[in-house]
Amino acid sequence: MADTVKVTFVDAEDDSKKRSTTVERGKTLLDAGHAAGIEIEATCGARGRCRTCRIKVLSGEVPPPTIQDTVQLGHEEVRENFRLACQTKIIADTRVVALPPKAESGHQILSSDTSVADDARMTLDCGVAKHVTKATTPTDEHHQTSDWEETLRVLPEDVSQDGSLEVLRKVPSAIRTDGGQITVTTFNNKIIDVEAGDTSEHIYGMAFDIGTTSIVGSLINLTTGENLADVGGVNPQAVYGGDLMSRIAYAQFDEKKLATLRVRALNAINNFVKDACKQSGVAAEHIYKIVIVGNTCMHHIILGVDVTYVGLAPYAPVIRDSLAVPARDLPLKAAINAQVCLLPIVAGFVGADTMACVLATRIYDSDEIRTLVDIGTNGEVVMGSKDGLMVCSAPAGPALEGAQIRHGMRGALGAIEKVYIDDDVTCDIIGATPAIGICGSGLIDACAKLATAEVMEPSGRLRRKKREELPEKLQERLVDTSDGCHFVLVEEEDSGRDEPIVITQADIRQVQLAKSAIFSGIVMLQHVMKISDDDLQEVMMCGGFGNYINIESAVKIRLIPNLPLEKITYSGNAALMGAQMALLSETERDRAYDLSLKMEHVALATRPEFQDIFVDAMTFLGPDTHVGNSQSEENEMVAAGGAD
Amino acid sequence: MSDPVRVTPEGWEGRAPDGWEWVTLWDAVETGDHIYADERVQQAIDADIDPRNILDDGLFPGFNLQAERFSAQIIFIPEMLITARAMKAGLALIRPLLAAMAVKPAGTFVMGTVLGDMHDIGQSIVTIMLENAGFNVINLGTDVHPDKFIETAIEEKADLVGFSALLSTTVYYQKVTIEEFQKAGHRDKVHILIGGAPTTPAWVEECGADGWGKDAVEAVNLALKLVKEPREAWA
Repeated sequence: MADTVKVTFVDAEDDSKKRSTTVERGKTLLDAGHAAGIEIEATCGARGRCRTCRIKVLSGEVPPPTIQDTVQLGHEEVRENFRLACQTKIIADTRVVALPPKAESGHQILSSDTSVADDARMTLDCGVAKHVTKATTPTDEHHQTSDWEETLRVLPEDVSQDGSLEVLRKVPSAIRTDGGQITVTTFNNKIIDVEAGDTSEHIYGMAFDIGTTSIVGSLINLTTGENLADVGGVNPQAVYGGDLMSRIAYAQFDEKKLATLRVRALNAINNFVKDACKQSGVAAEHIYKIVIVGNTCMHHIILGVDVTYVGLAPYAPVIRDSLAVPARDLPLKAAINAQVCLLPIVAGFVGADTMACVLATRIYDSDEIRTLVDIGTNGEVVMGSKDGLMVCSAPAGPALEGAQIRHGMRGALGAIEKVYIDDDVTCDIIGATPAIGICGSGLIDACAKLATAEVMEPSGRLRRKKREELPEKLQERLVDTSDGCHFVLVEEEDSGRDEPIVITQADIRQVQLAKSAIFSGIVMLQHVMKISDDDLQEVMMCGGFGNYINIESAVKIRLIPNLPLEKITYSGNAALMGAQMALLSETERDRAYDLSLKMEHVALATRPEFQDIFVDAMTFLGPDTHVGNSQSEENEMVAAGGAD
Repeated sequence: MSDPVRVTPEGWEGRAPDGWEWVTLWDAVETGDHIYADERVQQAIDADIDPRNILDDGLFPGFNLQAERFSAQIIFIPEMLITARAMKAGLALIRPLLAAMAVKPAGTFVMGTVLGDMHDIGQSIVTIMLENAGFNVINLGTDVHPDKFIETAIEEKADLVGFSALLSTTVYYQKVTIEEFQKAGHRDKVHILIGGAPTTPAWVEECGADGWGKDAVEAVNLALKLVKEPREAWA
């Protein structure tokens, strides 16, 4: 695996002027620019806090946009492939245009009013404010006053108190420590903290996406939007069941087991908070707002709400509203009254994570019909435009996240992430170390390449007939064992285990169940909304695949419809991005609530067409089917299947 | 693991008119061509072939082959379902004839997916295979309340009842439904089979069922065995 990549800078005025450089994979485009001797300004010090280093990506894979890209450039520009050079890590050969800095109006992003001119950029109105003031202490014994009244007296009138005991307990020492100088923190004008001295510089928040299989989060400066730390790992509840339903089954009718799941998730989140603070040097007591998104089940478990009936038809959630609860009630390690905000739930298993994806992709604002596909243990599909959105939940299971797969693993060091097959097999491994397993994007790629090389039939069956027609090396890699057949991806001598890394027939069946669940979700919404493949202007794939998913492979395995490839994009972990947006902006958080009431839920399993659609979705594209086609083959297949 | 081979029914030529061929129907059922299956079975009926022979010599060879492959995970749900669909097309034509000939069913089986669960792919495969095996199957569909199971079992004087559950959260209702049969005093009048992805032999013990099959083929074999074991008579 090549560890260097080539970056070509094209002159903004004259595209015949180019300059190229070779840099280490993982460096930023800003690093590359400087290495190539291109003057790219980064007035904020490469922290994603200004937009002087704006570039436009012409070709090559780049990671999905970060929250800073979105905050600084706005959705329109991000969609048009503009990025901040300082935030964009290079993962493959890339061609970019370095642009002269836009008229910088850095201060605007700090202001909380939405000016029309600044529409493209996100409003920073996180709801948390700090008031630095000088409180007096009561002096006269006969004067009828109190520490608290003296404190309130110096605050703006619209600030109110909710009588929090924790805040009250901090008041006497706070007003007597620093000559009366105090910082009062409010969330939507309610007092949530009182500290001695001036701490107005320190307003932080965290965004978390709690998935069934993994948890990711980031720590963000709420004043600037700067992302200070990224954290993540497996959801430790997974030992009690890989998919949603087995997780619910574990806690069903049993308060103690529900508490076990809850404590496990909260411990993990608290450890991630600690990690993030350590990475960034931020004190946990300066975290005032935490936005958590997750599917209905994760959402309820974190709140300690009974999930018993969520697991039984008609799968109704206990609550759908947007929530803000004090951190101490969970408890999470942050400022004592920090607000933990949970985005609303749409219906059934379509939870706050889907809401976050909707926020992040702005599908609700689209003139054309788009679809958003969030690929996770429970997949969700949202389809529509500004004229209305429909959503469904597709129980994919954890296979596409590498779970319940013989050599499956998360997208971490040692995971196979790309597979090439010609006369033999080559794999790209994350971190260029010996392979120890295969992650979701690797599995998708492997299945696609096996189908193309005709090692696997479109039915998903590993080839049994006429194997002698395959190249010799591929024949050798197809191994029959007493418990089925498997294909060797990495031979024992090159593997980081003491055995070869394989993909088994059973693994392929798991991938098939997962991808056909998601694919049939898409087809079902198309069917209900009467949208043909040609009508679909964009398929936005999201999910925790890291930086990479091979779109062609996703089409090949029929995870998503076979549309022209330029209509298919990968938006990265949009759920986390949406959580970050709701963290930085109460406008966005309110929007989530409004949208949750407007989106229409389609229950897949109750529709009579579902079985035929699901079964038709199980096959892979044949070796001769052209990927990137706009022919409506899929629709014809569905029609054929539904003719029964 | 080697691919199973199709078993040709011995002496089928003697049970069909001269020059008759079954191989096209065997292939049609195997590959799931329900249109041809329908056509060919109609031709067989028109050629006065005994409906029992159409079933055994014409439809079963292709179906049994696929069932065996499915059991060995060589083929998957889609292939099994299209084969089942072709089988069903043929069966639909000969079932009334079999009934008219007063061919006694192997037994009466009440089937359904338990309360809270909307899945039916698995139980519909089992249903068609039970029908193939000669059972009179009453399929109650999905999200079936325990009372409905009991009511139907009484009405139909069922020999066997089957509860399918495809969610880890709904297997609970297999147990509940069995308890309801107990309370109603009908538990010993039926054999109760359970199935579905999250179920295990251990769960059979725990929920008080009489049997479990790891797949549709095992379930049918078990049903054929259990139906021979007497239960308390229905009033």
